[in-house]
Amino acid sequence: MKEPTFVALMLSPAAVFLGLLVAYPVVLLIWNSFYEVDLVNPAGRVWIGLENYADALTSRRIRESASRTLQYASFALLFEFLFGFCAALLFAAIAENSRWHRTIFALPIMVPPIVAGLLWRFLLVGDIGILNHWLAGIGVISDPGAIRWLSDTDLVIYSVAFADIWLTTSFVALVSYAGLTNIPKDLIEAARMDGANALKRFWHVTLPLMRPVIAVIVIVRGVDAAKTFDLIWIQTQGGPRQASEVFSMNIYQRMVRYGDLGEASASATLFLIVMVLLAAFAYWKIWKPAHG
Amino acid sequence: MAERSTFDMGRTIVQALALLLVLSFAVPYVYLVMTSLKPAAHVQQIPPSFLPNRISVENYLTVINTQSMPRAFLSSVAVAVLTTILSLALSVPAAYVAAQYRRPITVFFLLFALITRMVPAVSLGVPLFQLLKSLGLLDTTFGLVLAHTSAAVPLVLLLLAAFFDGLPKEMEEAARMDGCSRFQAFLYIVVPVMKSGIAISALFAFITSWNEFLYALLLTSQNSKTAPIVIAEFNSVYGLSWGPMTAAAVLYSLPVVLVTLVLQKQIIGGLTFGAVKG
Repeated sequence: MKEPTFVALMLSPAAVFLGLLVAYPVVLLIWNSFYEVDLVNPAGRVWIGLENYADALTSRRIRESASRTLQYASFALLFEFLFGFCAALLFAAIAENSRWHRTIFALPIMVPPIVAGLLWRFLLVGDIGILNHWLAGIGVISDPGAIRWLSDTDLVIYSVAFADIWLTTSFVALVSYAGLTNIPKDLIEAARMDGANALKRFWHVTLPLMRPVIAVIVIVRGVDAAKTFDLIWIQTQGGPRQASEVFSMNIYQRMVRYGDLGEASASATLFLIVMVLLAAFAYWKIWKPAHG
Repeated sequence: MAERSTFDMGRTIVQALALLLVLSFAVPYVYLVMTSLKPAAHVQQIPPSFLPNRISVENYLTVINTQSMPRAFLSSVAVAVLTTILSLALSVPAAYVAAQYRRPITVFFLLFALITRMVPAVSLGVPLFQLLKSLGLLDTTFGLVLAHTSAAVPLVLLLLAAFFDGLPKEMEEAARMDGCSRFQAFLYIVVPVMKSGIAISALFAFITSWNEFLYALLLTSQNSKTAPIVIAEFNSVYGLSWGPMTAAAVLYSLPVVLVTLVLQKQIIGGLTFGAVKG
């Protein structure tokens, strides 16, 4: 068999499959976004050009859900990174004794998001949430009802991120730890010889060498956090009063509850474009130079 | 001497901090397990207690005796197993040529897989709904398997391509010298050598399907609902019955938690497509 034929034969099943179940739905999505679709009679669709996009870009509820997505993703990413990186530094400091630490720390990493969301809802919810009882017990808050994590409209978008932080900090920690252990010891040693203190060694040696690892974390986690649906859905269904409705949930609600196929498709298309551009930008900007 | 003791003290502080951090991340899950083992009436008591005052399997019995839950678990297993098989059948050959025969078409293909991974599920959910509806596959196991496979293939493909990248090109050449065709060399030489990489990829395909929620929510309604959907519905159907809900959550997550504890190193490598060696 000729080489090109072989390559084509091996590649085609996956290519045809992805074409049918990814590329074709994307085309369908974009196609839908130019129509106004009647809920009662889906066949009666009317071409309205870019009107759905104009509506999406001027809708207050959509704008608010977009900025909430940003709040949620940056809050989650910040703390995942902070906790995860600190954990990795601690593990690296006690290198040979950290095996069990790392094993137990990895526990949440593959927990189904639906379970993590349920668990955190149970920790935070109303009167039975144990977190507030503990906080009251050590005197941080006056009584267990003082903070209403999931029903305070100003707070809820951050509270629902706790589950995300719990779920994925270990990913950040273990990936960072792997990166830290790959840094050649003699580089750190050489910096120490030159009289650099611990902080300087961290800033000028460790951090620049960790750049590709940090890039991977920010890209993978940032995009995933911005796409979050299930974790928030199980905790609040976007409530109270849409205060935790992120962008993906807004699209879902408009599609399923209001049956507005055209407008939901327009925002879903915008969402897709932004996600892909964001990932591409991050890839070229941070990852590539470090590899090249 | 003085320096030595500050060093020891620093070490002790580091140890203590590491322990504190690890424990605070483990406690929530332990609390979930403890709650599920309480008698149902004690689950929602105020103030809540961390440990059960009496171990009971009542919540587990409630879950097992519902009509929907055992069926949903079976459905989850069936969908995840079929997704794993289909994803591997599609991805293993493609990843092999993409890694070993670098040319514009294979590079483009890998790039397409990478972009696909960034696409939000909610964007694909609605057109997938239309597609499956027109094929008559809504609310069927096979329909959901197709949707889950579309999510698993890009992940598994990139993962496998990273594994195959490390394979010496000479392996196939040597097999061809001995009279194997390209396809035979792939099937009888390459695949057996790569079986640990393929096993890890299979695990990822399985967990992708096992943990998936949004497609299952959109594409199933009666017959092929998976466990995450039924667990989420426990809310509305049975009122706020936290006891059985925590039991179901433990049953559903414990298998993956145990697998994670055993295969931690391989999973970390897999989560970053081998970009970081675990």
